[in-house]
Amino acid sequence: MLSPKSWSLAIKLSLTITAVVTAVGFMIGAVILAQDWKRFQDELGAKALLLSEFVAITTPKAMLRKDYWQLHLSLKNMASRRSDTTGGHEVITAMILDTEGKVLAHLHPAENKIDLPFSPENKIEEKLFQQAMSARSTIVLSSEGFSKKGFQEGVVPIFSDQKYMGVVRVRLSVAQLYEKAKDSAMIVLALVFCFVILGSGLGTIVSRRMVKPLTAVTQGLEAVGRGEMTDFTPIPINERDEIGHLSVTFNQIMAELAEKKMLEEEIAMSEKLVALGRITAGVAHEVNNPLAGLLNCIDTLRKHPDDKKLIDRYLPVIDQGLHRIKDIVHSLLVGLKIEESQETVSIQHIDKLHDLITAEIGDRNIDVIWENRTNRELHIPGKIEQIVCNLLKNAVEILPEGGRVVFRMYQDGSHLVIEVSDNGPGIPSNIRNQLFDPFFTTKTNGTGLGLWVVYRLVQSMEGIIEVMSDEDQGATFHVSVPVITMKAA
Amino acid sequence: MRLICLLLLFWITPIHATNPEPPIRFGLTAVVVTENLRFLDQWSQYLSHKMGRKIEFVLRKSYQDVIDLLDSGGIEFAWICGYPYVQAREPESLQLLTVPIYRGAPRYHSYIIVHHSSPYKRFSDLKGKVFAFSDPDSNSGFLYPLNLMTEKGEKPESFFRQTFFTFNHAETVQAVSEQVADGGAVDSYIWEYLAIFRPEITEKTRIIKTSPSFGFPPIVSRVGVNDSTVNLMKSTLENMDEDSAGKALLDRLKLDGFGHFSDSLFNEIRAMAHKTQRANPIYSMLPTD
Repeated sequence: MLSPKSWSLAIKLSLTITAVVTAVGFMIGAVILAQDWKRFQDELGAKALLLSEFVAITTPKAMLRKDYWQLHLSLKNMASRRSDTTGGHEVITAMILDTEGKVLAHLHPAENKIDLPFSPENKIEEKLFQQAMSARSTIVLSSEGFSKKGFQEGVVPIFSDQKYMGVVRVRLSVAQLYEKAKDSAMIVLALVFCFVILGSGLGTIVSRRMVKPLTAVTQGLEAVGRGEMTDFTPIPINERDEIGHLSVTFNQIMAELAEKKMLEEEIAMSEKLVALGRITAGVAHEVNNPLAGLLNCIDTLRKHPDDKKLIDRYLPVIDQGLHRIKDIVHSLLVGLKIEESQETVSIQHIDKLHDLITAEIGDRNIDVIWENRTNRELHIPGKIEQIVCNLLKNAVEILPEGGRVVFRMYQDGSHLVIEVSDNGPGIPSNIRNQLFDPFFTTKTNGTGLGLWVVYRLVQSMEGIIEVMSDEDQGATFHVSVPVITMKAA
Repeated sequence: MRLICLLLLFWITPIHATNPEPPIRFGLTAVVVTENLRFLDQWSQYLSHKMGRKIEFVLRKSYQDVIDLLDSGGIEFAWICGYPYVQAREPESLQLLTVPIYRGAPRYHSYIIVHHSSPYKRFSDLKGKVFAFSDPDSNSGFLYPLNLMTEKGEKPESFFRQTFFTFNHAETVQAVSEQVADGGAVDSYIWEYLAIFRPEITEKTRIIKTSPSFGFPPIVSRVGVNDSTVNLMKSTLENMDEDSAGKALLDRLKLDGFGHFSDSLFNEIRAMAHKTQRANPIYSMLPTD
């Protein structure tokens, strides 16, 4: 959830668009601010130069006269001229120096005594001082970087009759510009912020529109995975771009899959009908056989109603025939009923079959070996009970005197494994293919439905049934059903 | 600037249409604080009213300018410093009219001032420093400190590292308070006047030396102005303390009044001028625009 890799495409796309818009916005903002600052600085530099020139014009005469007071006054007057109309500026310092760098006048006379060499307070000032002293035409000196303490300095050399007499330096503070620049920075920042919000909003809308068909395709594919294809709603096509194309193709695929699924269902239905037909035919045949005999018996008895011998002979035949029909119907009903059942039973129910089968054996000399190694708390589908019962009955019926049945049940991972072995005659290889067919039986009075029911029950639980047998070597039925995790208590 | 002030004065002062005579022109120098135009206006109106003639104040930057105006007949009266008064002129172009009385006497001093935070305690501490003079023709602002140096056998060029003239006592105080100059020489009357009206600048200065008293800067008349005008001006000024309007004006000037005193009042200045002999003629040649 937290890893960016697991974020949805819509989020990633809109974040990317937001990031790009933000970056572009800030870049444009930065460029505007940098240009603004440069322009402000240049304007201030021009102003500083103008003030220096204003002083320089008035000074040569006073310089010749060494009228220090007049020079001082001209600096003071210049500095006190508040040019509020032109945006305002603050004179940090101003000075008039002679050819040797001696102070002729300074705005801060207490620290810069007149007629003494000007002493720069640090290396940067020293460098600026040298630049100012070597200037023979007007120049503007600037502080470096963007700082409230920055300045612009106008340097104007003074000439009288083309003779170099000294230099005027007027330094203006950028503090007011700094405030101005800060204000405009706030405005630009606010604009960029609006731009970013608008951009990311648009980005979100666009990315959502782009991703929506993809989401629909994904949901569709998931539905395919679950096998639900028929109730799929086609993706609406709004655009004719790649995504629109994908949606069209996907809709077609889904339509075809749905059609295929319907065909398959039809086929399955007809297969069911075929199977039903076969069963019906089998039932008809199996029921018809005793019926013919029964009708014959009844016909004969009707013709000779007083023949006691005939009655004694035919009544058991009629009874047997009717019982057989009853058995067939019962087996079919039981098998189909249990096949649909979802009920679960405790595994201990299986152990009760031990008693049942012992009762079934009765006086016959048949050994039953019972091994149940499963967890006693386990619950299993009720169908298992029927499977075990049928397999055991089969084995017991086929065994001769002195035979032996082995029942084993255990867990193998999620599978419940059941093994029923006997040491009977085994299953001839030629009939193994028909073993699970309905109405296939080798027993004289068998219905041929027992193993068919077992097979169908195993299939309904998506399990496997295997038979291992050699002639005269007995047979082993091996059933493995994936039921443990489902119903583990 | 001065010209504009002058024009303003002309414009503000209504000309008495009933009086056909030309106005009497009265030159003022830095001996008084001349920035207060409204006061000068009131004073000229007062004098005009008393004398029945229009009085016009004429402001100039230096004493020399005013002396020149007197010499050339550009003004009839002037309030000048004792030093230009005692300087010999050939022929003599001005005569003593009346002398202001300040704190009970027609006398004042020269103050040697330094910045209040400076370590200087006496005049000799200012050796090698920057010194502000007021006017090359000022007694208190130039002659007296020059004399102090002369007595020590020094010249301003060698005694001080640099000197300059402000041509105005008030600006000398300002130059010292702003530390443009390490020290300065000013008129005691102006310093005290500023201490009342602009204490923020005098508070930044400290007096380290007070001169002996000298005759207060006098009011002179040009030689050749008719006696009646001279006498009228003299009596008008000397009687100012007798009416309330005049008293109010004198109070604004921080003066007691004007009085008649003999020329001998300026003997100390005269002696000092002789002594210094104006060793450096460059000061008298200073251009005074």
